[in-house]
Amino acid sequence: MLMRKTNLRWWLFVVMVFMSSGLAQQKVVNVICSVTQNWCEALGPAFKQATGIEVRIVSVSTNEALARLRAERANPTFDVWFGGTGDPHYEAFKDAITEWYRVKAYGDLSPTMKAAIGTTYIPLYQGILGFGINPKVLQDRGAPIPRCWKDLTNPAYRGLIQVSNPNTSGTSYTMIATLVQLFGEEEAFNLMRGFHRNVAEYTRSGVAPRIALGRGEIGIGIQFMHDLVEFKKQGFPIEVVAPCEGTGYEIGGLSLVRGAKNKANGQAFMDWAVSPAGQQVGFRAGIFSLPSNTKTPLIEGIPDPKDFKLINYDAKKYGDPELRTRLITRWTREVFPLPRR
Amino acid sequence: MAVMRQSRPGRISGGRSSAWLPALVALLSLLMLPWGRTDRSLLEFDGKLLVLSQAPGLGVLLLAGLAVLVVASLLHLPLVQRGYALVGLGSAGFLAGVGWLVTTGVPFGVGALLALSALLVLIGVGLSESGIIQNDPFVTSSILISSLFVLLFIVYPLFTVLRESIWIKGVFTLSKVQSVLGSPLFISIENPYTPQSEQFRVALTTLALGLVGAVLAARGGLRAGRVFAGLGAGLVLGWIVGAGIYGGGALPTSLYLALIVAPITTGLGLVFALLEQRSRAGWVRRSLAIVSLLPLITPPFVFAFALIYWLGRSGIITGDLLGLKSNFLFGINGVAIAQIFAFTPVAFLILRGSVQGLNPAFEEASATLRAQPWPTFQRITWPLLRPGLAAAFLLTIIESLADFGNPMLLGGDRNFLATEVFLALTGRYDPNEAAVYGTVLLGLVLVVFALQRLWLGNTSFVTVTGKPGGGNFSPLPLWLERTLQTVLALWGLAVVLLYFSIFYGSFVQIWGINNSFTFKHYQDLTNLGLPVLLKTAQLAFISAIIATLVGFLIAYLVSRQQFFGRGLLEVGSMLSFATPGTVMGVAYILAFNTGPWLLTGTGIIIVLALVFRNMPAAIRGVISGLSQIDKSLEEASTLLRAPSSTTLRRVLLPLLIPQLLAGMVFSFVRGMTAISQIIFLISPGNALATVLLLRWIEQGDLGRGAAMATVMIFGLLAVILLLFAVSRCFGRGTSLDAAV
Repeated sequence: MLMRKTNLRWWLFVVMVFMSSGLAQQKVVNVICSVTQNWCEALGPAFKQATGIEVRIVSVSTNEALARLRAERANPTFDVWFGGTGDPHYEAFKDAITEWYRVKAYGDLSPTMKAAIGTTYIPLYQGILGFGINPKVLQDRGAPIPRCWKDLTNPAYRGLIQVSNPNTSGTSYTMIATLVQLFGEEEAFNLMRGFHRNVAEYTRSGVAPRIALGRGEIGIGIQFMHDLVEFKKQGFPIEVVAPCEGTGYEIGGLSLVRGAKNKANGQAFMDWAVSPAGQQVGFRAGIFSLPSNTKTPLIEGIPDPKDFKLINYDAKKYGDPELRTRLITRWTREVFPLPRR
Repeated sequence: MAVMRQSRPGRISGGRSSAWLPALVALLSLLMLPWGRTDRSLLEFDGKLLVLSQAPGLGVLLLAGLAVLVVASLLHLPLVQRGYALVGLGSAGFLAGVGWLVTTGVPFGVGALLALSALLVLIGVGLSESGIIQNDPFVTSSILISSLFVLLFIVYPLFTVLRESIWIKGVFTLSKVQSVLGSPLFISIENPYTPQSEQFRVALTTLALGLVGAVLAARGGLRAGRVFAGLGAGLVLGWIVGAGIYGGGALPTSLYLALIVAPITTGLGLVFALLEQRSRAGWVRRSLAIVSLLPLITPPFVFAFALIYWLGRSGIITGDLLGLKSNFLFGINGVAIAQIFAFTPVAFLILRGSVQGLNPAFEEASATLRAQPWPTFQRITWPLLRPGLAAAFLLTIIESLADFGNPMLLGGDRNFLATEVFLALTGRYDPNEAAVYGTVLLGLVLVVFALQRLWLGNTSFVTVTGKPGGGNFSPLPLWLERTLQTVLALWGLAVVLLYFSIFYGSFVQIWGINNSFTFKHYQDLTNLGLPVLLKTAQLAFISAIIATLVGFLIAYLVSRQQFFGRGLLEVGSMLSFATPGTVMGVAYILAFNTGPWLLTGTGIIIVLALVFRNMPAAIRGVISGLSQIDKSLEEASTLLRAPSSTTLRRVLLPLLIPQLLAGMVFSFVRGMTAISQIIFLISPGNALATVLLLRWIEQGDLGRGAAMATVMIFGLLAVILLLFAVSRCFGRGTSLDAAV
């Protein structure tokens, strides 16, 4: 009899150890975060200081975030989805994974950004697509600095371009949608086939080209300008160019997850995230995207939409999952397999 | 043992039963603890969640049955009949409870977990007392509990993967399998945009290698079976090579990569093993001791990360020294190089075992018979080494197929099976597609395992049992030793440079652009990385304790007890070792995301994933330890009327402390460096160091990534060295081999 008790104690011990990892709950908000790691990490302490609510953050790429939210839709872990390109936010709203919440500062948000997306998600920032270039690499190759999308097909850039793969990156889809809106679908695909020969590698993450660019492994990276500016400020020898034909942009999203367990805290987080104080957290983390709140005092270096020729990006049409899938599939079948060497 | 069992006190005809305790535990946990949950947290307490309010009918039945069993166990009743009653009522209660959870889909609560486990113990007691199973109650209950865990956390998730690939939205269909296997991401050979025909070239390569295989096989004897086997193997290899070179897609790329990596890695492993045994130089042995540690303490993809700096497009060697601006590293080449660095130590550890098993007496006999060194090697040493080589070769193939981190960083445009599992789920959000890729990968790995069994069979190639006998190995011929030493020195130099570049990178502003000294990355790390590192260490530590204890128990059951399904339990528990990490990760997220076993989004699922991933190493360590302990010790303990739980705790546990300690430390270390199985499972408050490291590297925070890698490498090294110090106190050496 004595023996049984001690055995049971062993089992109890094992069960206790099991349970000790599921920690006690307090006043929290669970955020899935799709901006750069630095920004994600800076949010928690700042929000806790402002409101006393604990922020627990998981940072994953935009597509991965959508995948997780969709997988957990019956029983969501997360309350708020912070950042990342707008199309997946739009898709999440259409699929009833997220819901629209009118943040307190909604009146102060940029009217153009609001107009572009309607009441699907809350605009958080605007990021403009552009070229990052490494002048020294181009000079060594004797290649000119690219000014326009069509310049990218120049054979002088063979093996010098990096852009992300649309199958895994929202940035790359923004580029495809931009080109289709600029030139029409056929010509856009011809253009992509044209510079496909010059692409050294299609990266998995949309931010990734800047790494190879900064290290001088490639000469041109196609991605959002604010990520390039951040890298330039860190000391990498790169420059930012806006394509002459015009360029597209993303409206970074902020969404409330439908069925969120900490809904009130989530809404408080969203209110704070688009307030000037919340948006300045990004600046301190070295982020240079244009914040959506017009009252937020800007810092130097932010690419201002007024300085570029922006297309009238149709977020609703190109955020449609069906069109998105069709364009990405077409790219995967007609552009990606083309020989490059 | 059989003789002893009859003299046990439990065999008398009547008396109390120890089943009252589990019955009481089940009763109380049903009464007081929540049966179900509404959320992910297991620590919810709410009156509405008790079984009596959630499922009143079931609750009343269970409670009444348990109350009867408590009373019946405390009375003096005939053992056998009551045993049958315990088994009958216990199983009915268990099945009813599980059935309710499965049919309603309510996530289990703490109470359900405890009650169902207690019911299993109760069934175990009943099985033993009724004499249905000839083991004592402790052993029987342990068998039931460990079978449940293996079923729930290894077999069931893998089954879910298979189901998801053919069972879409409740309908059986092969359309997903077809569309995935037909997609260019899986296999693409013909490229319509090139002038030449890839299909023709692949066919040509296939035929050529098939012929070569047939000819080689025919040289060993002109038998039809042999020739056909050679032809078949040649054709398969030829197709892989051809499709790998001229085509693309995940399947050919992964297989081709494995075929490049495995022979080189095995060769290098053999070189190191021979050098360790027969070299005259002392530095060789010392440096090899370090080599054997490397794979354990290095987080995955750290080599890949460092390689970019040496061989990348503007790497120090390729760019600055050779002036190349080639894209050479990104693709199969880079992944192959990184894998060779990562897996050579593993192959070395395997081959070290078989090289040390050689008996020098054979070589001496051959030399005495005036055979030259080369024929001696050819006729004596080589045949004895072959099984070890085959094992190392096949294991490297499996590791290469399952590797996730290196293809992720260096894969370039090529797709690999292990990364495609991940991308299908996270990039394209298609769980069914991920499941199809997972099934293919799992199938390949199991085929390789089957090959290993077929090839090596059950024949023992060990020349002596126990330690090698007397005699000394003849040293290697001088020219050979010099060559092998050069290989080792070059390899060592490369490894030192790679590690050095990581340490260096963590102390400069921007690696390669601005090389001024800074502590900035370490300051950032204390703010951002430290909490994550501590959390990772916590989860890894908990999982290491559980993995060791459960592993110990299973090893004891499998190697010391006889029962029906023993082989199944062993195979089941080893299955998670063979399963590639990404497949296990997908399996967990598919299996534990909804329904009664909801666990995703908690720290528990990470702990469980690590437990069942690392347990096989602990099991093997303990089994090998047990094989050195004579059974007479346990029999003596049984004769003194100790139940097997006491024998286990007071006889075997103290003797196995070194193995258990080693098992625990290696589980911990592997838990800290795991990535592929847990990358899907991170949740708020449960961030993990390797996942954070991957993200930093991907976004270009290389300095901080280097700082994190440095801290991890030194931390894990310290843990391992501590283990060696401690196990020296116990007076016995700890073997690393079991952990790899």
